Amino acid sequence: MSTLLQDIENQIAGIKTSVGKQNVGIVREIGDGVAKIEGLTDAMLNEMLDFGHGVTGIALNLEETEVGAILLGEYTEIKEGQEVRTTGKLLQVPAGKGLLGRVVNALGEPVDGKGPVKAESAYPVEKIAPGIIKRRSVNQPVQTGIMAIDAMIPIGRGQRELIIGDRSTGKTTICVDTIINQARLNRMAEAAGDKEYRPLYCIYVAVAQKQSNIARVVNVLEEAGAMPYTIVVVAPASDSATNQYLAPFSGCAMGEWFMDNGMDALIIYDDLSKHATAYRQVSLVLKRPSGREAYPGDVFYLHSRLLERAARMNEKNGNGSLTALPIIETQLGDVSAYIPTNVISITDGQIYLETDLFYQGVRPAISVGLSVSRVGSAAQTKAMKQVAGRTKLELAQFRELAAFAQFGSDLDAQTQAKLERGKRIVEVFKQPPYSPFPLEVQVAALWAVQNAYFDDVPIAKVKDCQSKLTEYLASRKSSLMAKILKEKALNDALIAELKAVVAEFKQTYR
Amino acid sequence: MKISKQARRDAKELFRSCCVDGLLDENRARQAVQQVVQRKPRGYVAILSHFQRLVKLEVARRTAKVESAVALLESSQASVRANLNRLYGAGLSLTFAQNPALIGGMRVQVGSDVYDGSIWARLAALKESV
Repeated sequence: MSTLLQDIENQIAGIKTSVGKQNVGIVREIGDGVAKIEGLTDAMLNEMLDFGHGVTGIALNLEETEVGAILLGEYTEIKEGQEVRTTGKLLQVPAGKGLLGRVVNALGEPVDGKGPVKAESAYPVEKIAPGIIKRRSVNQPVQTGIMAIDAMIPIGRGQRELIIGDRSTGKTTICVDTIINQARLNRMAEAAGDKEYRPLYCIYVAVAQKQSNIARVVNVLEEAGAMPYTIVVVAPASDSATNQYLAPFSGCAMGEWFMDNGMDALIIYDDLSKHATAYRQVSLVLKRPSGREAYPGDVFYLHSRLLERAARMNEKNGNGSLTALPIIETQLGDVSAYIPTNVISITDGQIYLETDLFYQGVRPAISVGLSVSRVGSAAQTKAMKQVAGRTKLELAQFRELAAFAQFGSDLDAQTQAKLERGKRIVEVFKQPPYSPFPLEVQVAALWAVQNAYFDDVPIAKVKDCQSKLTEYLASRKSSLMAKILKEKALNDALIAELKAVVAEFKQTYR
Repeated sequence: MKISKQARRDAKELFRSCCVDGLLDENRARQAVQQVVQRKPRGYVAILSHFQRLVKLEVARRTAKVESAVALLESSQASVRANLNRLYGAGLSLTFAQNPALIGGMRVQVGSDVYDGSIWARLAALKESV
């Protein structure tokens, strides 16, 4: 027994407690979610700082005699004169499939009351975008389920497509539709046991939105059964500007996890104008010099570094992708304002929504002339390309002729025909919210319009005829639909079959 | 008080001129302050207050504040002095102070570097981790 005591004593005597070096500073000023700290000579840019009381900050301004930091969480307990330490870490958020179906805040903490998040790993909020060598060109489509977009402004996996428009023109609805369509496609592939299909996971980042709006979106997603494939990151209007500034970066980090692990993800930033405003607020409180419209000089860098992280990786680097759909809200249709022009120049195209079209009943109110997708056409499915190739041109001609035709009624037969066709195309592209169309339905409807099957239908009845055709194809000719979906192209046999089926439908349609 | 960019620049220039071999020279600093007070250049109060801040930070960088729960023995003080001189080079001035709140152990601060081996710090770390 005596040796046991001796052993323990020896063990205790052998323990050496080492004291590490810490870098500390003193809070000199605090307020508006920002602290000025004296000292902290070793602090690094974007490093997390420990304020004690469970409060952390991020060093954003490194000056000669002090450090400016933004605070995360409840900071009312922090007082002037308190000690702050560096941590040597960058801000990280949880990432992984465990986050799917959850609503989290800008720091990745759950806010949906469903218990703790089971995340596989953590990802840094700020990360350098993948370089050229790691990337490949966009060649796989993102099926939004919105006919006008899939036909005329196709989006590919890894693309950045801006959705821009005034208030209440249906920007969020387009994104929610896209999420719902991905969930439908993912579920279908799971049910069919399709190993070829690459599921697309969605991340919806709500920046400075009303809580009621966020709740409504989450509710729509839940009702449509899209939540199991979706992560919602929220920084509502009542949240601090710091969290609103961080939320898109957190969401992007969560999306990058999917991309780095060879999966596909889609991220929606709703919206980046409010994000820029939150960043302006943080920058002004940090006393950074202000530039145009009081935004700091690096507001372009803020959005470019965020959107550059959307990419399509090559085979060597996992073949994953992150598609970004940023939203920008314009004021009275002014696309030439500061933030809209910035984001337009960063992204690979934009979908422009017009208030006038919205109130004319053209919903989604996509302005075909101003909307463009610079890379997506390479990713469009062949079937869609076959039927929609001429549509954009025809619609553009229609708009030109429609403006011209207002001045006189005497028009030649060819012009009349073009006008009538244009009106029908516009009708066919109308779509109610939260009801995305499957690819085969879109192809069949567009093929019917292109091949003059809708020309004898009165304009007021085009929508009715289209829905009845869809119903007819789904209930009686499901094998044809399945064939189109499988082939993803219209060969001669399929065209002949389609011709017969649509002709048969037209005979019964009244 | 708002300190303009120009005042900051001037204070920095003044501070640089008071340094000899990278170390602040006390006499030069005193002389410089006297000269500025006498000549009263534009915005001299702002220049002096920023200069004071730079000097304060420099002094803190060259001063080691050693706190312990009980007074240190001569031998311990000597070993602390030797170790700090090894880490930060000669010319470091040491101040020894007693702080019973530490409970036990020692806390050394040089500028913004802190070596905290006190019981109070360990208890605080434990409290944070629980």
